[in-house]
Amino acid sequence: MPRQREDHKDWYKLDNAGVLYTALQKEEYSALYRFSAVMDRPVDPAALQRALDKTMPRFPSFRVRMRRGYFWNYLEFNDAPGPFVKEDMSNPCQPVRYREDSGWLIRFFYYERRISLEVFHAVSDGAGSLVLFRTLLAVYLRELGHEIPNTCGVRDVDTPPEPEELEDAYARYIGKTSLHGGRERTAYPNTGTPEPFYTLNTTMGFVSVAQVKEKAKSYGASVTEYLTAVLIQTILDKQHRENPRREKPVALAIPIDLRSFFPSETVRNFILTARPSIDPALGEYSFPEIVAQVHHYLRLNVNRQRLRAVFTGNVRYQSNKLFTIIPSIFKNRGVSFVYKSTGVRPYSGTYTNLGVFQVSPEMAAHIERMEIILGQATVPRVHCASISCGDILNITFAGTLCESDTEREFFRFLVREGIHVRVESNRRCDPKGGSPCPTA
Amino acid sequence: MSYCVNCGVELDGTAHACPLCQTPVMNPRQPVDTFSPPPFPTRRKEVPPVSKRILAVLLSAMLASAAVCCGVLNLVLKPELHWSVFVIGAAIMVWIWLVPPLLLRGIPLPVRLLLDIVAVGLYVYLISRDVRGGTGWFLGLALPIILTGGAVVLFLGLVLQNGKRSILSGITIVIGAAGAVSFFAELFVDRWLYQCWTPEWSLIVVTICAALIVPLIIVRRVPSLREEARRRFHM
Ligand SMILES: [Zn+2]
Repeated sequence: MPRQREDHKDWYKLDNAGVLYTALQKEEYSALYRFSAVMDRPVDPAALQRALDKTMPRFPSFRVRMRRGYFWNYLEFNDAPGPFVKEDMSNPCQPVRYREDSGWLIRFFYYERRISLEVFHAVSDGAGSLVLFRTLLAVYLRELGHEIPNTCGVRDVDTPPEPEELEDAYARYIGKTSLHGGRERTAYPNTGTPEPFYTLNTTMGFVSVAQVKEKAKSYGASVTEYLTAVLIQTILDKQHRENPRREKPVALAIPIDLRSFFPSETVRNFILTARPSIDPALGEYSFPEIVAQVHHYLRLNVNRQRLRAVFTGNVRYQSNKLFTIIPSIFKNRGVSFVYKSTGVRPYSGTYTNLGVFQVSPEMAAHIERMEIILGQATVPRVHCASISCGDILNITFAGTLCESDTEREFFRFLVREGIHVRVESNRRCDPKGGSPCPTA
Repeated sequence: MSYCVNCGVELDGTAHACPLCQTPVMNPRQPVDTFSPPPFPTRRKEVPPVSKRILAVLLSAMLASAAVCCGVLNLVLKPELHWSVFVIGAAIMVWIWLVPPLLLRGIPLPVRLLLDIVAVGLYVYLISRDVRGGTGWFLGLALPIILTGGAVVLFLGLVLQNGKRSILSGITIVIGAAGAVSFFAELFVDRWLYQCWTPEWSLIVVTICAALIVPLIIVRRVPSLREEARRRFHM
């Protein structure tokens, strides 16, 4: 809810997800993610900066800095010059510093043909940031002299932002009943040896959308369901190889974009997570059974009523009078502690599928592919994310651990399924074949 | 284009080895492309560590002003008693506890704890100089207790430092350490006051600690009990 004032010193209350991500903020950890577009030719940094300067006024909710209040942190309009596009580096998604880089919570990079956008999760979720990114790419292509229409979700940068784009959609759709799920069981952690600060090992796989879609269809599942099942299978196998006394369930956090259930144009956070899981202690599941479990779990649990009840509970908690009067420094500690038991322990990892990056044919001609990186987790484990553009589906594993077991087995599984996989990574490969970690 | 012989995935032309399994690329038909740019930048950059200088300066200023104010007040209020020495000493002790860790990063934990213990020792010494009875009780009573307490804290710090221990063993060790401290405390008090050791209250404390530890060790050793405890306490 921006305060309309002449001097543009608007401020935004953090939304429900924003409260969590700021509470988790530490010197060595920030909840961040990155989108990249690989263009048809090398990036022109000057044109990109011009495009950015034209685009940012249209998206005031990204033009913010974090302020620490006594009871809550909040986002404040940032009137510093910038943000400026920078040359990319090998270790993406570094933690944000509230007091440095003029307090910017978003970053822009270029490398060869790749344009990248990094966003602090308290500012916006993936779907919201993609609106900004799509518009930026359109304006950039116009700077290069191409004719790009304002279609397929490209916002007109010459018009002021719509109030609905800046709304806290959780607060708008809050219901009457809240649902508090019981405590979930501790899952297999799937953690590894942490790398020294700051390293984010990123491995990207590129597959054909048509091929994966066909394969998923043969199991009667969507692409998201199929890839979730592959990841669960991979982690189940990994746990099995470690031969523990008692196998723990393998569960994934699957973020759900609530915009498809509750129409909203917001470019701020509006997500919840689902938790499909397989418990190997009950007996062995075949791969088609895992796909079926994931498919039915998501269909059964992800519905309007249930989702609304869950986020109503979360928002109520946030507006609780007693909770509100706790000073923010203690509140953040508390939220971070609760997150450890409700957001980390019950999960083996995260998989988010942003789906198809929709662009007009005029833009598609200049974008070779899209890429996504989920930044580090609070523990050394890999996060998996995917996004597609055209026929190229990008699946990225990123984490601060040195082992590469999860991604290796995941991509080998796809290869065994008959899917062609191309792999790129920022891992430093020793030409002599030596590796820092023992691998199979 | 080359494929990893191990994983079956297509690799980037510039890759020397498979990023998944580190198997080197050896393709006689197509040597590794060393001219094209690699898929990711090779330039490393790191965000600077968060500066805690402002907090350190603020803390120092607060402690210093408290010390100076009390020192000045002491000149007027009961100047025959040097009561401000206690406040100033406490301020110095708190400063040593809080400020160096803010300014110097990566002080090893033992060094930090050692510094803290020395600060406590200095403070108690300062008090002993100003209290009737002189420094005798400092050397005879306070110093041994501080050193024992310090040694136990140091031990706990080293043992529990990496957080690798389970919660159960952590609690067991802490309770055991508390028992040990009370045992030595009474030993030193008795030796100072009566020149002979007659264990009384510390025996009660040690017994209670032992009684608490034994079930914990049993739970820790028996897998089914341990599993049950994990379930009950969500560990
Ligand atoms: Zn390989």
